[in-house]
Amino acid sequence: MGWLIDLLPLPYTDAVVVIGAAVLGIAAGVLGALAVLPRRSLVGDALAHSALPGVAIAFLVTGAKDPASLLVGAGIAGLIGALMMVGIERTSRIRPDAAIGVVLSSFFSLGIVLLTYISSTGNSEQAGLETYLFGQAAGLLERDVAVMAGLAAGAIACVAIGFRPLKASIFDRAFAASIGLRVRVVELASTALLVVAIVIGLRSVGAILMVAMLIVPTVAARQLTNRLSRLLPLAGLIGGAVGAVGALASARAEVPTGPVIVLTGTVVVLAAVLLAPGRGVVWQAARRRGERRTARSSGVLIDLETALHAGPPPTPSELAMASARPARDVRRGLRDLGRAGLLEHDGDRVRLSESGAAAAHTALEGRRLWSAWLEHGWRLDPGDAREPDPRDLRGSLGDDLVERLIAMDGGARP
Amino acid sequence: MAAPHAVPAIELAHMTVSYGASPVLWDVDATFPAGAMSAIVGPNGSGKSTLLRAALGLVPADAGRATILGQPAREAMRRVAYVPQREAVDWDFPITVREVVEMGRYPSVGWIRRLRAEDRAIVDESLERVGMGPFAGRQIGQLSGGQRQRVFVARALAQRAELLVLDEPFAGIDARTEAALLGLLAELRDREGRSVVMVHHDLQTVREVVDWVLLLNVRAVASGPVATTMTPENLRRAYGAGEVGLDEREGAAWAG
Repeated sequence: MGWLIDLLPLPYTDAVVVIGAAVLGIAAGVLGALAVLPRRSLVGDALAHSALPGVAIAFLVTGAKDPASLLVGAGIAGLIGALMMVGIERTSRIRPDAAIGVVLSSFFSLGIVLLTYISSTGNSEQAGLETYLFGQAAGLLERDVAVMAGLAAGAIACVAIGFRPLKASIFDRAFAASIGLRVRVVELASTALLVVAIVIGLRSVGAILMVAMLIVPTVAARQLTNRLSRLLPLAGLIGGAVGAVGALASARAEVPTGPVIVLTGTVVVLAAVLLAPGRGVVWQAARRRGERRTARSSGVLIDLETALHAGPPPTPSELAMASARPARDVRRGLRDLGRAGLLEHDGDRVRLSESGAAAAHTALEGRRLWSAWLEHGWRLDPGDAREPDPRDLRGSLGDDLVERLIAMDGGARP
Repeated sequence: MAAPHAVPAIELAHMTVSYGASPVLWDVDATFPAGAMSAIVGPNGSGKSTLLRAALGLVPADAGRATILGQPAREAMRRVAYVPQREAVDWDFPITVREVVEMGRYPSVGWIRRLRAEDRAIVDESLERVGMGPFAGRQIGQLSGGQRQRVFVARALAQRAELLVLDEPFAGIDARTEAALLGLLAELRDREGRSVVMVHHDLQTVREVVDWVLLLNVRAVASGPVATTMTPENLRRAYGAGEVGLDEREGAAWAG
């Protein structure tokens, strides 16, 4: 990957760190979806925490701080943790969340005890083992990054090959089993893939915060797409970007990498949760507000039309009285109608403008259509799964049905 | 296919299943004829859904044997389309209506290969038959309950299976969807000779559209053609003394 390092406009060591963090972000992003989508995010947390004693034991056994053997230890310990969680859930009546808590805390405690013991032995080799707690991307070597990239490529290839079994078993377990899929094998495999993602990230992000790298990309990507086939690459992309930016920032500021990456991810998630089109909080609030406004002004419009039919143009307070609506709603409704050019003012009395009369007519027709639907709709067979939306009956049912409805309800013909 | 109805759709012998302490199903013998629409009826907690799952080998049975279309259940998987309860699924999952129905083609296409043109045609046709054609590109979370059930049935249609097994397909469903889907199931039975077995809770519709019924309350209380099986006496035995009033009303309606 020398060419890639040369390509980046960064000093050599920074370039290695950035590429390493991007690789771990891509892997954690794609593989993390296997934990987040089946609502088992905390399994990822437990796996990351259970990897810690594996690192310590591998160091005790080999007596050297060789990244490869430490990560093999981490992977084995993570798998043991995963099997213990499954075992506890299946054999006892302990619920999954409790099983996760038990495994997470006991493995992590064991890890801390072992690390403390190692540092008390005065072995000069041990300095730096604590980076597996909070992560340190700064010391990554090109060789480490190559191993990480190889692992990541293999794991992502597994997801691509197993895309259908994974999708089927996460979305609809019972159906997947009914067409002959060995769902438990698939679940075990996806847990193993999670362990791979953790092993890739453990050194750079650390055991404590690794879970964020698994969750953040999927949560953000889910806000942006409704299809799994797009969510997985998108999560990889987001994870890679978060990893690279966070690692670079932490290397410059000389703080542990894990927290910086996680804070970077938090910003991304916040932005996605708030601003994403369609699912974003801000977007949804704006839509609800718009809907409320439309309902209010069309109600006031119809009230005004009725009042004008019955007598002279009303004042806003007379209109409120006549329509039994709060005066404030009427004022606001009139303001919106006025802005749309639907009103004419006669002192403090209001009338409909020409376009206002037309709009009132349309609104009344909509109401009449809805009553006609309530009365005759059951006799109409749409022939498909269309369902009526009271805000827009014509749009939701289609012109043909609406015409038939009007024909059935002779009186409703406008 | 000389005698298409000679082999039953599902045959259960001595089926016993328990979760934890007490048995959910106890020594159930039952037969559902092929080419017919059958219903499993019984009070809440009587083991209806478990019976279906045990028949398909989805839950381990303590004892007993299930035979589907004359084969052991495990070997008959491909000939059965299972429609689970709607609650069993995560409806916020990032998947479109069309992708869900495409899952029905997995058993024939396999887990890796691309869908062939004929598979896509089958998916289109299945969507049309349940009236969901115009909704193919929607995310499933944007659908109403009735539309979701239609998607599930479309997936079962796409499997082109001889036997459809449905778990509470009409629970919490609007009347229009229920009528449309029941009509579709009846059509499958009448025109294509397929078998349907479903868990159902509405005794009225059972009488109107179903051919064969199993009354279940942990044990098999009675089974047979609807007319001779859904007697007030049998219903009382299945639903117990607590609902005698209901049973008598049901019985009276039936007698009249």
